[in-house]
Amino acid sequence: MQLQDKYRIAVLSAYALSLHAFESLLPTPIPWLRLGLANIITLVALVLYGFRTAMTVTLIRVILGSIFMGTFLGPSFMLSFSGGVASTAAMGLAYLTFGNIFGPVGLSLIGAFFHNVAQLTLAYFLFIQRVEAVLFITPVIILIGTLTGVANGAVSGLLIKKILQKNGENIQNDKAD
Amino acid sequence: MKTVIRNTTIADKLLFLILITASVAGIFFSREAMPQGPDIVITVDGKPLYTLPRDKDRLVSIPGPFGDTVVEIKDGKVRVKEAHCPNRLCEKQGWISRGAIVCLPNHIVITVGGKAGDLPRGIDAVTG
Repeated sequence: MQLQDKYRIAVLSAYALSLHAFESLLPTPIPWLRLGLANIITLVALVLYGFRTAMTVTLIRVILGSIFMGTFLGPSFMLSFSGGVASTAAMGLAYLTFGNIFGPVGLSLIGAFFHNVAQLTLAYFLFIQRVEAVLFITPVIILIGTLTGVANGAVSGLLIKKILQKNGENIQNDKAD
Repeated sequence: MKTVIRNTTIADKLLFLILITASVAGIFFSREAMPQGPDIVITVDGKPLYTLPRDKDRLVSIPGPFGDTVVEIKDGKVRVKEAHCPNRLCEKQGWISRGAIVCLPNHIVITVGGKAGDLPRGIDAVTG
């Protein structure tokens, strides 16, 4: 890993962490509803700098974020961790296999979907253990996730475009490795 | 906004449509599959006595001041089959699949599709 990569990861993680902290301050109509703003940073990192950077940023964000919030290794950390890792892995896989078939919005939708699926699965095994309750809530969560996923994907798309316009020649995507 | 729309590929739009359709259909389907919640709760004197699954047919008899009241669960519905109170309003109410049957003389409340915590906290007064 080069010095430049470390610098980049640090800056991206800082952005992701601040968005993560900011959105937990926002009041939401339902307590477990989150906008997933930090996913914008993950997506930008994935498209511009490759899968490894995106996963590193996600891991740093989830772990440091939970330490700052005081939920490290607690139930909400486990949900956040599984969701973050699953969504980044799914987005990375989709991006590496399908290339440019999916734009940022499509990748964000994939990420949101797998984030919710991972969290619901974990929540079922760890906390709820009532099939009908999980089945009842799943479509609602997937619907909300799709809506927020589109918004996040749109913002990521604009961000990626702006960054590429500004200094496109300085960006090397390590997609190959 | 225009740039956003131009940035999305056909696969993006397709994925969006599939997810929206599937989740909306899922919401309606799950509402349809269990519209009233899973349990039948029988409360006597303000305390939940039985919590029974609605999909299992059975007869329950509950002792009270006017003798045993027989509650029947069948095909996801519930009724008071036999009561010995003066008015027998509960018996006349027939089969219900949502809401509640109240038998004041015997202090029995049968609710469908609620948790024990949702029940009325007891009876203020008994008249008649």
